Amino acid sequence: MNMIETVQLTKSYGNFTAVSDLNLHIPKGHIYGFLGPNGAGKSTTMKLFLGLTSPTSGYFTIDGKTLSSGRIPILKKIGSLIEAPAFYGNLTGEENLDIIRRILKLPKSSVDDALKLTGLTEYRKRQVKKYSLGMKQRLGLAGALIGRPPILILDEPTNGLDPVGIHEIRTLIRSLPAQYDCTVLVSSHLLSEIELLADDVGILNHGHLLFEGTMDALREYAFHAGYPTDNLEETFLAMVQTDNAVRKRGELR
Amino acid sequence: MILFLEQKKLHRTGYLPIFLAGGILAAIVPLVNMAVRPDSFTGLSGRAFPILMDANWGMMAQLTILLAVCGCCLIYHTEYADKGDLKMNTLPIRQFSLFFGKFGISLLSVTLALLIQGAALALACFHWFPDRCVSLKELIQGMGFELILLLPTLTLMLFAASLCQNMWISLGIGVILTFAGSMIHDEQLLLSLLPFAAPYRMLHAIPPEKANLCLTFCAAQAFLFGAMELIYLRIRRNFV
Repeated sequence: MNMIETVQLTKSYGNFTAVSDLNLHIPKGHIYGFLGPNGAGKSTTMKLFLGLTSPTSGYFTIDGKTLSSGRIPILKKIGSLIEAPAFYGNLTGEENLDIIRRILKLPKSSVDDALKLTGLTEYRKRQVKKYSLGMKQRLGLAGALIGRPPILILDEPTNGLDPVGIHEIRTLIRSLPAQYDCTVLVSSHLLSEIELLADDVGILNHGHLLFEGTMDALREYAFHAGYPTDNLEETFLAMVQTDNAVRKRGELR
Repeated sequence: MILFLEQKKLHRTGYLPIFLAGGILAAIVPLVNMAVRPDSFTGLSGRAFPILMDANWGMMAQLTILLAVCGCCLIYHTEYADKGDLKMNTLPIRQFSLFFGKFGISLLSVTLALLIQGAALALACFHWFPDRCVSLKELIQGMGFELILLLPTLTLMLFAASLCQNMWISLGIGVILTFAGSMIHDEQLLLSLLPFAAPYRMLHAIPPEKANLCLTFCAAQAFLFGAMELIYLRIRRNFV
């Protein structure tokens, strides 16, 4: 069963198409790696799922619900970290999470749980504007994880973290489906990152989905298509470069 | 709950001290005016409250409008400074309820400032007009009327602040409109009831049969600007 599914999902801004006829299938309980270079349309797709922007055409379902049934029922199921961590700098980490807790109508203990899970307990009373970039990223994750939502949408969650932090967060995300029975959509422009995290991968370039499937299926696809298969990073680069070249030829014609 | 959340977001921003200080500053106006030249006013015939309002309300109203402008800008700056609004938009809460909460906070803050000013006017009455002191009813009616006349200014300013992520733009708009509003005279009643101009009007200076019209017109404008925010929130998703 697919937790998130998109059908011909398209988002255009004037003449520019950020997401084009996207057909994604994200299985329940899986970690889905959303991969693509900067500007590929990953964040736009995630914003569409959260109702932050409206699709130009096509539609999507999240746990069987469409946007036409309203944003609120969908948002109740999603914990998210989009673009940069968003918060109130004048408040402490604990106060920020308390605001989210009250909106989600969660017990008080959920704030402590989220702080503990992301290793921020020690800094709970510090104003967020005094946090380091890594601590802000962790707080963003805590805000997404609070209440243990069935769906997590994480946009480049390891941005700004040091190698130890990256490892910790990666291990945490990896453990989430088994621990909380949740589905995770995680974006990155680093294949090495996605390779260590995801069960399935979707590769996006210029708003088009180039590939969707498991990691093994990606290797098989790359082998048959004549892309390098020794290193998945090279596979990804070759796929994107080929697509860019095809696109350029099309434009020249 | 939304009011509680909105006030919580304003911790450590200096919002409440600004309103207390602004309210006190406006409240000092009639006291200083009376202390400096009491004979100019105590010699006038008629009730004390209209005399004090005629002498001081122009300045007091302008300070209150500026206070409301600063408050609205600060409320939305807190929201936009570290992208708190983005987080709010990803949570299961209606976006308009956030605006409504901010309106509630602004209204309470302006009420606080008007209460301080009302107390100062009452104090001036007690001290300089002991034989014709203002009644509580007259004071409440007068300040309550000003509160309702402030509603269009408050909602329009909140709407403008919600549009501009850069606080200095909304603050600039607010300051320009504050001074523009002060230049509108009350010969044309409806024109003088537009946002930023309405708060200069006083209950005793308006014919009794037109007071209800003023209140209705201002309340309608507040609803209109609230509706504009609602429409803006709906259409914004098509452009971001």
